[in-house]
Amino acid sequence: MIQFLQTLFDHLPLWGPRLLPAMGNTALITLASFGLALGLAIVFELLRSLRITLLLRPIALALEILRSVPILAVLYLIYFGLPGVGITLSPFASGTIGLGVVYSAYLAEVLRAGIGAMHKGQREAALAVGMTPLMAFRFVILPQAVRTMLAPLLVSLISLMKDSSICALIAVTELMLEARLIMSEYFLPMHIFVLVGLIYFAIAWPMSLFAGYLERRLNHGRRAGAPARKKAVWHRIALRTAAE
Amino acid sequence: MGLGGYITQFLFPLLIAAKVTVQVSLGAFMFAIATGLILATFRYLLPIALIRLPIAVFVEIFRNVPSLTHLFIIYFGLAYVGIRFGSISSAIIALGLIGGATLTDVFRAGFEAVHAGQREAALAVGMTPRLAFREIILPQTWRVTLPPIGNYAVQLVKDTSLVAAIAAPEVMFTARNLVVTTFETSIIYAFAAGVYLLLCLPLSRFAKTLEQRMAIPR
Repeated sequence: MIQFLQTLFDHLPLWGPRLLPAMGNTALITLASFGLALGLAIVFELLRSLRITLLLRPIALALEILRSVPILAVLYLIYFGLPGVGITLSPFASGTIGLGVVYSAYLAEVLRAGIGAMHKGQREAALAVGMTPLMAFRFVILPQAVRTMLAPLLVSLISLMKDSSICALIAVTELMLEARLIMSEYFLPMHIFVLVGLIYFAIAWPMSLFAGYLERRLNHGRRAGAPARKKAVWHRIALRTAAE
Repeated sequence: MGLGGYITQFLFPLLIAAKVTVQVSLGAFMFAIATGLILATFRYLLPIALIRLPIAVFVEIFRNVPSLTHLFIIYFGLAYVGIRFGSISSAIIALGLIGGATLTDVFRAGFEAVHAGQREAALAVGMTPRLAFREIILPQTWRVTLPPIGNYAVQLVKDTSLVAAIAAPEVMFTARNLVVTTFETSIIYAFAAGVYLLLCLPLSRFAKTLEQRMAIPR
């Protein structure tokens, strides 16, 4: 154990300067794909809220397919498959698009749980007092929806950050790929992967603690009397949608 | 090459490889259910810091680090310290432990969802805490835990694709090998995605049905 830490600390000055830019790339691809996913999810939800019968089923099917295909398959399809039909994208662009498209399906679900969960009386009341539909959305629906959505959105961001490691397999030079390169140079797999695991943990853990705090705090008024919920996890989102 | 040629040359090997995907999924699923149920039960029956803290540490570590990192630690890292697992067993162990952490949380939420009065009533009629747990609490938790377990199963089948990175001969890995020999990238990866769709769609439909059936009416 002591020896393990000794070796780890000995190599830290060598590895640190390489891991830092890789961390930057991880952050960049995470944020870029989260932005893309959120944008796509909003489009999906807007299309769904238009209630055009012709569109509802294709959208539902598309979301279901996106939720049923592994991220790796999507990334390979974009990075290796698209050049076959004449579209060549850089690893970074492929990773961002792949993660963004896959996560849009999850975020659409979060948005629906947040906005769709609202009692329709809220909107009707807002319209009845003379607000335009846009105002009703802006001043009545959205502020309440944000409460329910903030924690699940943060949880999605965390799992997106973790899944960005999959981009290592299509040669995006993020944390995981850099770790593999270092592994094959120094032959210290245990050291480097434990170190990288710690780095991911150091980023993800505070975020998930914060998500848990947010969920407890923002849902406080709603769940008066219910036992305090301790942590935001994916299945709660599923439960919430199931309850609608 | 026509569609028939594509199917015999690409789809069949992928479907055969799906056997490994299913094998890894089932192995990891059972591992995860056992781990999750045992840890959550311990946590519930023995509410002392000595038990809770290690369980919390386990859960947080496995939930906040990417699956790929755990996979590499178990496959490459443990081999380095002399514990050697094959790629399929590494996959089952890594995914099983990650799933165990997820399901510990799921079961905990399930136990907490049972009204405290149930337990108090059971204790009041003279049941021991353990008996109350087994006969009163546990049977009632399935209603809350089964839907998330279904969602977890879908997630798990998809996550087995990561195992390609440690050369287990499952669908994604086989797809890559086919690509290396034939260069038909788009067709092969589309077929691979199709195989996962074939596995996951019925599973997620089933999970959805469970969710609707088990929903607690308000």
